[in-house]
Amino acid sequence: MVLKTTLCRFSGLRIYPGRGVLFVRTDSQQYLFLSKKTRKMYINRKRPAKLAWTTLYRKQHKKDQVTEVTRRKKRSTNKSAPRSIAGVSMEVINKRRQEKPEVRQASRDAAMREVKERAKKLKAEKASKSAPSKGKAPAQQKAGKVGQGKR
Amino acid sequence: MIKPQSYLNVADNSGARKLMCIRVLGSGSGNIGDTIIAVVKDAIPNMPTKKSDVVRGVIVRTKKGIRRPNGMNIKFDDNAAVIVNKEGNLRGTRVFGPIARELRDRNFTKIISLAPEVL
Repeated sequence: MVLKTTLCRFSGLRIYPGRGVLFVRTDSQQYLFLSKKTRKMYINRKRPAKLAWTTLYRKQHKKDQVTEVTRRKKRSTNKSAPRSIAGVSMEVINKRRQEKPEVRQASRDAAMREVKERAKKLKAEKASKSAPSKGKAPAQQKAGKVGQGKR
Repeated sequence: MIKPQSYLNVADNSGARKLMCIRVLGSGSGNIGDTIIAVVKDAIPNMPTKKSDVVRGVIVRTKKGIRRPNGMNIKFDDNAAVIVNKEGNLRGTRVFGPIARELRDRNFTKIISLAPEVL
């Protein structure tokens, strides 16, 4: 069976069933205390950060962090080893790595030039197609309008 | 722990500000849900409830508090009551402040329904 516990507002300790005082202020703000001791401490305006037995103090003075440090050390850092990634196999990656930078630059330039030339060709073709069609279109419209006017 | 001579705040808008208990009905010392007979010791001017009126009240908050069946105590900041008539109807039209759920068990559902917060 799991016991449902809540935390004390002042000390931060667990409140097990059967214990606890719910203090309700007139502005309906609720304070859950473990015991008469913590309730009185709150009413006397003691600050939990200055009392050594509260969890707030222990947190501030790093009393319970010994276990956390050891846990951090155990975690091994995985180095990312080269491996095949979706679509690109190991061989291709290795080849690319061993290429000299000059060779890579040259191949890239060649590819760029080719793409540019292709784009130029496409533009030229478009221009040659659109030029004659532009000349014809307005003439047709004029003819239509004239016909309507006569009727 | 409300006894004769105890002073209570008034948690409604009936016009009274302070009550002094003069009798706890049913028992020697009253707690949440008990009915008391009280004297109005302080009142807001030009309201139906006047100073030195003898009234009935229902205790809604106590500093001593009450114990729930699950073992938890509920304590409030002040002792407070609302003013009612003999039939148990409220004299005011509003109820102020938090109120414990135990009033429902004593059949004061009207007070519960008007309360801004029921704990």
